[in-house]
Amino acid sequence: METLRLILSPDFLLRNSVYTSVLVGFSCPLVGVFLVMRRLVFMGVALPQVSSTGVAIALSAPLWFGVKLSGHPSESAHMLAFIGSMTSSLAAILALAFMERRGRGQPEGRLGTAYVVAASLSILLLSKNPYGEIGWLDMLKGEVITISDFDLVLTAATLTLVLATLGLVHKELLLVSFDRPMAITLRKNVVFWDVLLYLLIGLTVSMAVLSVGPLIAFGFLLIPALTAHLFARNMRQFTILASLCGGAMAFLGFWVAYSVDLPVGPTDVVLLGVLYAAGWFIAKLLRGGSK
Amino acid sequence: MNDALITLDSLSIGYNGQPVMSGISLSIARNSFTAILGANGSGKSTLLKTLLGLLPPVAGRIDTTQSPTGAPLVFGYVPQAVQFDPIYLLTGFDVALMGTYGRVRPGRFVPSAERAFTRECLRAAGAEEFARKRFSKLSGGQKQRVLIARALATRPDVLVLDEPTAGVDAEATHTVLEFISRTREERQITVLLVTHDFAAIRHHAQQVLWLHQGKVLQGAPDELLNSERMAEIFEIGIG
Repeated sequence: METLRLILSPDFLLRNSVYTSVLVGFSCPLVGVFLVMRRLVFMGVALPQVSSTGVAIALSAPLWFGVKLSGHPSESAHMLAFIGSMTSSLAAILALAFMERRGRGQPEGRLGTAYVVAASLSILLLSKNPYGEIGWLDMLKGEVITISDFDLVLTAATLTLVLATLGLVHKELLLVSFDRPMAITLRKNVVFWDVLLYLLIGLTVSMAVLSVGPLIAFGFLLIPALTAHLFARNMRQFTILASLCGGAMAFLGFWVAYSVDLPVGPTDVVLLGVLYAAGWFIAKLLRGGSK
Repeated sequence: MNDALITLDSLSIGYNGQPVMSGISLSIARNSFTAILGANGSGKSTLLKTLLGLLPPVAGRIDTTQSPTGAPLVFGYVPQAVQFDPIYLLTGFDVALMGTYGRVRPGRFVPSAERAFTRECLRAAGAEEFARKRFSKLSGGQKQRVLIARALATRPDVLVLDEPTAGVDAEATHTVLEFISRTREERQITVLLVTHDFAAIRHHAQQVLWLHQGKVLQGAPDELLNSERMAEIFEIGIG
């Protein structure tokens, strides 16, 4: 309990890390719900990895062009990384969605290839980057330790924008996802709504990758939504429960990691996995009992 | 047809620029009940999707008159119930409410008047008692009623139904078709209905579009659905 009191203290040294983790935990499942409903779970795996490759490219670009940046993840480096992450994830999601609509080839094959190529490219780029080992690799691994006030404000502002937009246009996004032909007959611009949804997913993934790394971003995108789907009775419950699961697990993960000196990100993902497994058994028991 | 609501002029329909049917010229009268008949693969669904704007015409034109308010025609589309993914945790009411989304601007909540109208549509379609249940867990007939309620909630000028009686028993088929006929009369809407079921439709439809071997035959049910004419169409002798 002493650790909990310390973490909740406004003077806690790593308070920005706690706030960022919880923000990502609450926000990722809200777009993850759409990935689950549209059966784009594999995209949830590939996208954070592609996003992290965008970070690596953005951080390497100044070196290729002879522009010097600070060796530590400064504000300019973080902004550059955000732009790289956002650009690559958005380009990838639009390209994958376009190929999906054309209906040629195997979607799983494309996503698997995107994942493995992106992961390898990140490692190659950073291995040739003299600053990579110092701080940028930590950024890609998602060490939620050195989060500046600027990083926290950028994360909070981006995720607030995503949440507000999702709240405002939820019914349009739901209609286009559930019944595209109906949306067209109601004269909805389905391409616009698809692009907006992808933009929101891309923004959230980019921010999450920068804050907590690709593996953990994947965990927060999908596992809370999959867990919530086991118990929710309607769309509102599904969305709220997924977000609460993500936020609660992010906080719990930080608490556990800090208490027993473990890395925060992997602790979060393992806890999410345990929650999903427990949820699956409980849901099965409840369904068995109701028969 | 003097009061044509929809006119097809030398229309070719198909996919990716490849026509499956060409030279379709016909008109659909305002407030009429038109049945689109044909075997599997005859192009019924392609014609329906083209009329709804889900597929672009390969060639030719579709002219529609405006609704009485001067706005473009509103199509109330009733797709086949089997096509929906059960992963969506939507109740029958949630699905029917989507019919009002065409009138509610983005960023606005659905007003209580539209919710009340949706409940009225569910009641009219006989779907009120199971509207609170999960849509994916409803029976085929129940889903169909919810989808009809959703189409009515659009306040349609044209009600377009794709095989609404598929997988439904004879008694339920009769009830559904009776309801559609009554709704057409009460709400003064035009009905376009795709079906395989010649027998069930002949007492309800005023016009039949029969898609057969790349051609569209148009006529009243009694003209087109009698044994001589059918034999002629199928090029078989009558015993």
